[in-house]
Formats: sequence, C-alpha cells, structure tokens
Amino acid sequence: MANSTQTEVIPAPTNSAPVAVAESMPVQEPESKPLPQQQQQKQQKQQKQQQRQQRQQTPQSSGDPKKMNGEVKLGKVEVVTEDAVIPPSGPEKLTNAEIKKKAKAEKAARRAKERQEKEKAAAALGAQPSPQPTKKGQSGGGKDSGSTQKGQKHGAAGPGAPLRPGSASATDVKKREDKNVAVFGHLYGHPRRSTIAGAGKEIHPAVLALGLQIRDYVICGSNARCVATLLAFKRVIESYTTPLGTSLTRHLTTHLSHQITYLSTCRPLSISQGNAIRALKLSISSIDPSVPEVTSKSTLCDFIDCFIREKITVADQVIASSAAQKIQDGDVIVTFAGSSIVNQTLLTAHKQNKKFRVSIIDSRPLFEGKNLARSLANAGLEVQYSLIHGISHAIKDATKVFLGAHAMTGNGRLYSRVGTALVAMSAKERSGGIEIPVIVCCETVKFTDRVALDSIVVNEIADADELVTSQPPQQVTGLPDSDSPSKEATPGSKTSNSNVTDAFASLSLSRSSISPLRNWRDTPNLQLLNIMYDVTPAEYVDMVITEMGSLPPSAVPVVHRMSTNS
Amino acid sequence: MPIAAIEALVLLLTHSPSSTISETLDLLATHTAHLKKSISNPIGLSAGTDLFQRYLITTLQRPGQLGPAGDFNAIRAHLLSNGRLFIQRAKESRHKIAAFGRDFVRDGSTILTNGGSRVVSALLQKAADEKSGPSAVRFRIIYVFPFVNGDGENSPIEPEGIETVRALRARGVPVATIPESAVAYSLGKADMVIVGAEGVVENGGIVSRMGTYQIGLLAKAMGKPFYVVAESHKFVRLYPLGQYDLPIDQRVIDFKTEEDIATETVQPVNESGGNPRSSVELNLVPEERKSADRSSLNGDSGENARAVRHDVVDFTPPHLISALITESGVLTPSAVSEELIKIWF
Repeated sequence: MANSTQTEVIPAPTNSAPVAVAESMPVQEPESKPLPQQQQQKQQKQQKQQQRQQRQQTPQSSGDPKKMNGEVKLGKVEVVTEDAVIPPSGPEKLTNAEIKKKAKAEKAARRAKERQEKEKAAAALGAQPSPQPTKKGQSGGGKDSGSTQKGQKHGAAGPGAPLRPGSASATDVKKREDKNVAVFGHLYGHPRRSTIAGAGKEIHPAVLALGLQIRDYVICGSNARCVATLLAFKRVIESYTTPLGTSLTRHLTTHLSHQITYLSTCRPLSISQGNAIRALKLSISSIDPSVPEVTSKSTLCDFIDCFIREKITVADQVIASSAAQKIQDGDVIVTFAGSSIVNQTLLTAHKQNKKFRVSIIDSRPLFEGKNLARSLANAGLEVQYSLIHGISHAIKDATKVFLGAHAMTGNGRLYSRVGTALVAMSAKERSGGIEIPVIVCCETVKFTDRVALDSIVVNEIADADELVTSQPPQQVTGLPDSDSPSKEATPGSKTSNSNVTDAFASLSLSRSSISPLRNWRDTPNLQLLNIMYDVTPAEYVDMVITEMGSLPPSAVPVVHRMSTNS
Repeated sequence: MPIAAIEALVLLLTHSPSSTISETLDLLATHTAHLKKSISNPIGLSAGTDLFQRYLITTLQRPGQLGPAGDFNAIRAHLLSNGRLFIQRAKESRHKIAAFGRDFVRDGSTILTNGGSRVVSALLQKAADEKSGPSAVRFRIIYVFPFVNGDGENSPIEPEGIETVRALRARGVPVATIPESAVAYSLGKADMVIVGAEGVVENGGIVSRMGTYQIGLLAKAMGKPFYVVAESHKFVRLYPLGQYDLPIDQRVIDFKTEEDIATETVQPVNESGGNPRSSVELNLVPEERKSADRSSLNGDSGENARAVRHDVVDFTPPHLISALITESGVLTPSAVSEELIKIWF
C-alpha cells in the first residue's frame, strides 16, 4: 500500500530540481576572491562540479539558457541578502561561512519543498501521516521537529556563535535515519561534516583544510591520513603560544584535542591516526614544564618528524624491501585497491629486475586501484586491472596475494578496505591448485589491541550517496570531461575519479541524475549501504610483513605490545 | 648443526686477536657467510650463527661494565665464557626436552617417527628407560626409513636413525621399520607422530628432512597428533611461504629427457673440465669436506649424485603441527613467533 502511494509522489520532486541547481550556483561568486590554497582548490572543484551539473541539467530542465540565467540571478540575490547579515571576521572565515550559509539555504529550501510535497501527498491520501515508509518507528513528526530545530539554528548562525559539529547538515540526519541498514545501525553517528562552518575558532586553518581533504578522500589511506594529520599538528604546534596562567604541557593537549575532535567529525579517525596522536600526546605530557616554550615546541616538532620518519617512511622502505624478496620471477601478484605500501613493494621488486605480472582488483565507489594501476604501468610493469566481480578470473592464475592494511587487530585479523576479505578468501579457497599465500604489508603503527570478531561491530559507514552514480554511463562519450583524467584503466570508468564531486553531485542533484537509484531516499524498502571496511580472519592471512620482520598474524599482539612499550 | 656453528664461532673469537667491537662483528659476519656458503643447506646453521650474533650485539649494547663503554678485553672474556655456557646449555637442552616429551608417550601407544634426530631418539629412549630396567612404559614404534625397496635395515647404506632403532630394540621396545611409501598404510595403527626438525621457522612451521611434510599431511588427514621435537636454538629467522620458498637450491624435481641423461653420464668423466654446473659442485665439495669434521655432514653427496640425497629438506606448515616440544616448554606453532620475537627484540 505504501508503495503505491510512493510511486505517485516520486515524479513530483523533479519540478524542484532546477531551483535546487539555481541555489547552488552562487557559490561561484565568492571564488573570485583570493583564498587560501586548499580552500580555493576545494571550491574550484565544487565549481567545476556544479558547472558540470548545470550542463547536465540544461537539457533536462528546460534547455533554455535564459531561464537558467534568470534562476541564477534569483538565487544570487537570495544568498547575498543572507551574507549581508554576517559581519566579516576575516577573508577566510567569511568565505567559509558563506559557503556554509549557501549550502544551508539550499538544503533548507529543498527540504521545505520536499516537506510540502510530502504533506500534500499525505493530505491527498488523508489516511497516511508520513509518505516515507516508517522504519524503526520514526515518524513524520520527528522529521518536522528536526527541520524546525535546524531552521532556528540557521537563524542564529554567525561566526560568533559556532554550531555544534554535525548540526550543519541536519537534513542528512533526518533522511538517513529512515534509511539506516538495521544491522549497521550503531555505525551511523553524525554524518560527516561537509563544510568547515561551525568549527570552533581554535581550530587551526591547516587542520580545517585537512579535515575537508580527508572527508573528501583527497587524502585517503591510512598512512596518508596519519602523515597529513601529524604534519598539520606540527603546524598547529609551531603557531601555538601558551596562554597566560597555564603550562604548555597542560594546555597544548586540550588545544590539540579540539583539533582532533574536529578531524573526527570530518571522518572517523583511522587506527594509525589514533596511534600517532596517542604517541604525540604522550610526548607532550612528558615535557618538563620548566623547559622554555620555544625549546619544547621544537622538541615536539622533532618528535613528529622523527615519528613520521621512523614509523612510516623508513618502515615502508624496510617493508618494501623485505616484501620484494618474496616476489620471484614469473609470479602473478594479485592486489586489492590501492595500498601505498604495496605500490612501493611492487616498484621495489620491479627495480630489482624481477619479472612478474600484477593483477589489480578494484571496487566501487573509491576506485583506489586506479592510481596504483597507473603508477605501476608507468613504471613499466605489466598490469591487469579488474573490478571485484571479476575476482574469480583474476585469482585463477595468481601465485601470490599482497594486501595493504588499515589496521591489524589484536586477534590477528586484518581490517582493511571492504572487499579485502573476499580477495583473501578467494585466494585461499581457490579450487584446484595449491593455496596462494596471502601476504599483508603493514607498519606496526597500524597495529591495535582492539579485537574484531566481525566487520559489523567496528566499521565505518560512508555516505550512501557515493554509491549512486551521478552521471549516467552514456555521459562518457557525450560531454567533454574536464576533471576526470583517468584513462589508464578500463573503459567506462571515467566517471568515477572524483568521488568528492560525485558525492556532492548526488547530494544536490540526486533526483535529476539518470541513475535508477537516484531516488533511493524516497524509494520505499530500499536501503543503500556504503560500508568502508571489512575484517579478514587470521587464518586467511599467511604472513604479515612489518618493519620489525615477518610475522604470522598470531604474533600481532606481541609485536604491538613491544612497539608501544619501547 | 647450530651448536657446531656456535662452537666454531666461539673458537674463532678465542683465537682471533680482535680488539674492537666492530672488528669482532665484522669478523663474525665474514666467517658466518663463509660457513653458510660451504654447505648446501645452511638453514640449521644460520639459526646458530644468527642467534650468536644477536646475543653478541645485545650483550654489547647493554650498559655497564660490559657495554660499549667498558674495557674490551673484559667484554671479550665475558663473551667467550658465555658462549661456552651457551653451548653447554644447548647440549643439556636435549635432556630437558626428553623430560618434557616423555609424558606424551603413553602406555600402550604406538608412535610413528622418522629421520635421525638425536632429540627424538633421546626422548624415546628416556621414555623407554623410565624407572630403569625393562621398559616400564610399554609402547611401540613405527620407524619410517627413506628407502622404497625393502625395510631399510638391509640396504647397503645405513639410513639415519638405525642406531636409534637398535638402541630401542635393546631396551625392549618393539620397533617396526617401514618404507616411506607405507606411511599412509601404517598410520592407522599409530596413535601419534613425533618428528625432529632441522629448523623451526617464524610462523611455527618446521624445515625437516624430506618426507616429513607428507607424514604431516597424512597425520592431519587421519586426525593423528603431530608433535615436533626441537631445541629452541633451532628457531631460525626465516619465513617460507611454501615448499619452494626455502632459501636453498635443492634439485629434487629434476626434469630430464633421454638426451639429458646421456650428457649426465658423460659428465663425471670430464668433471675437471669446464662445464659450469659441475664447476659449481666442485667448489662445494672441498669446503663441504672441511666442514664435515665439525658437523658430521654427509660429505659424499657431491660424488654420489645419482643416489637420493640425504640432506634434502621440506617445509611442514604450522597448521599441520599439533605442538612443538622444546626445552622452554610445549609450544603451539603460533607461540614460536612469540619466542622468536622475544629473542630478537
């Protein structure tokens, strides 16, 4: 019954689509101002995306450029008036606030429209209070209260009154609550922060930028995130001055934890980040309060440099050289997604003039394997690239599997990008033939004493919109593609290079794209699950190569204990 | 073999007039490399040399009188005395293991074993000797000999382990000898498998004489416990991923055509000639002889090319092993890496 009513409702939102586009347009305006580099890049990205969307949009909505322009102007006026309310506090803050404001205005308008439509539909039906299927007991009333709450915040928002993290996108919360996959319900926390608005004023600009880069997968991968975080914190420490009446040891820790909290709202912290932060905090707390500030700051910066060098840079070299020894002539190496350390290993082995083939298995929506494929192919290796559904073919002639890790858990299990377990298991369970050794390359900084029995309890859920392709397949040959230069891999994969933009597109434009899943939020009984990690049981891993030597997975807790104690 | 290597290194240190730490380490490194090069299978050997070197370094790094700041002559004397102590302990460990392991031998059980491991032999004899006099624990042994034809005892070359068989029989333990081909047939009658090892690798697997792997596989298939007896100085820093990942080149699988065999038979005649392959073997032979005095190595492998070589090894992966009986206790395979990490870090 609910289904039939829903199908009637669906066509309605298409009317609102042009307006949504128009509202998002004025973001272009403030971009002409000089901005800090990172944000400028980010905004340019958004701009490009929006331009693309606009192009896409044009044939669908009206095909009339004049009409579009008119809408743009209309949107601009609206936003400008809103901007006028905000007293400028600095070029950077202002732009951030502007972006945030616009996003909010856009969302508010859209949501109001949706609500109206829904109410209309509900009223037409009479009997049904909420057009959405009410899963887990959430009703339309809850949604209404959520939106009014947001509306109030919207009114009060200004640079002087920072919002609580996560409140900026209350719309998403409301939507997602209906669409949570029940088993993973505990993993849906706050949605990822989408703007830097509302961040506390104590957050360092470097950290602000880093948060968005991490959120958008510009900085992706456990190692990269760890290094980037440490470098950002180094800048935080460099520009830090101890306030009067407190000591560096005490205050810097709390100052840093603000930064950490901000980062974790952008994307949950990785294990390596957590370990690095723990080490940094330990080193801060061990500073003698009588030491002058300049000295202790330089001590800390040295510590960070040393940590990166010892735990990641040199560790990677050691791992790569010892893992490369395991590669022999004639090997066919299967790897999954894009691990920096696997990349380094394979390049090292290639430099040693070993003759081997690499088969990269990749998956949607991040397509991390493409960079790996390009890097290896550029180095002159023979690379085969396939997606995870081609795994049984890829594994057929494999002789070794090399995997990267997000973390190694205390019970020896491998916690890595979702799909890794499938690759490891296919290698082990391959019928007809000897077992293929599964080798994990992992720095000890990624070891954790947490125990994972399955991939449900501990995991990370990304925005489900990333799964919805915003661009239809036929787009590939259609419009000129300005910002997807990935040509090295399979044909038809052009669309997927920038997940950031994809995600953004589906946020603002999901109902206008041609993907059948575009209306998944409004489709009853449909839930999308974009899970980030999975857990590979220890018995599917033959060997863990760390900078401290090669270990069986069962030795992970011992090494972890030793590397944290020393 | 690891003990022999350490003994040799201690002797070397005693006789060489090194006066600095780095000189000592250098000397050790070159001579270790030389030792490793001189035998065809340096796995067991490297366990000993690595351990010694590691011990040396940790001793030198330790602060105090014997540390880098101390008097080098004192350090040297300390090292040498400790080295001898180490050797003594290593030799005693065999008895310790026998004491641990004999509880595994139950009354009325049948044990399948292979190879010429002295630890296995010590363990079995200990079990037989218990309470002295005629065997108090009544158990039987199925001894696997690596000869396909006949029961090994009558073959021209005495197989490893024949002394063990004789000693056990003298103690009243019934011993049956079977060829390797009869392992699957006989395993139904056995209650457990006990084998020795040449080296215990990092993941808890063992490198052992050829044929151990298949016994392990069969024991697993039949659900019989498979115990490995090894001293902890046999723990070696090696992580083989499979049979063909061992750092030694043993030409077990040697594909040949009739033509190859024809050239092969000619080879021994012009062995002094310029054939590259035989020259490699020539290089090996004299050095093998040299090390043969020390380590009772089967030195005639160079000459006896056609016969099945005695020193070929295979790798038994950890999941086939029920437990490792060492002098520091009975370990699961996964505990081996922990032990190794303790030694190495």
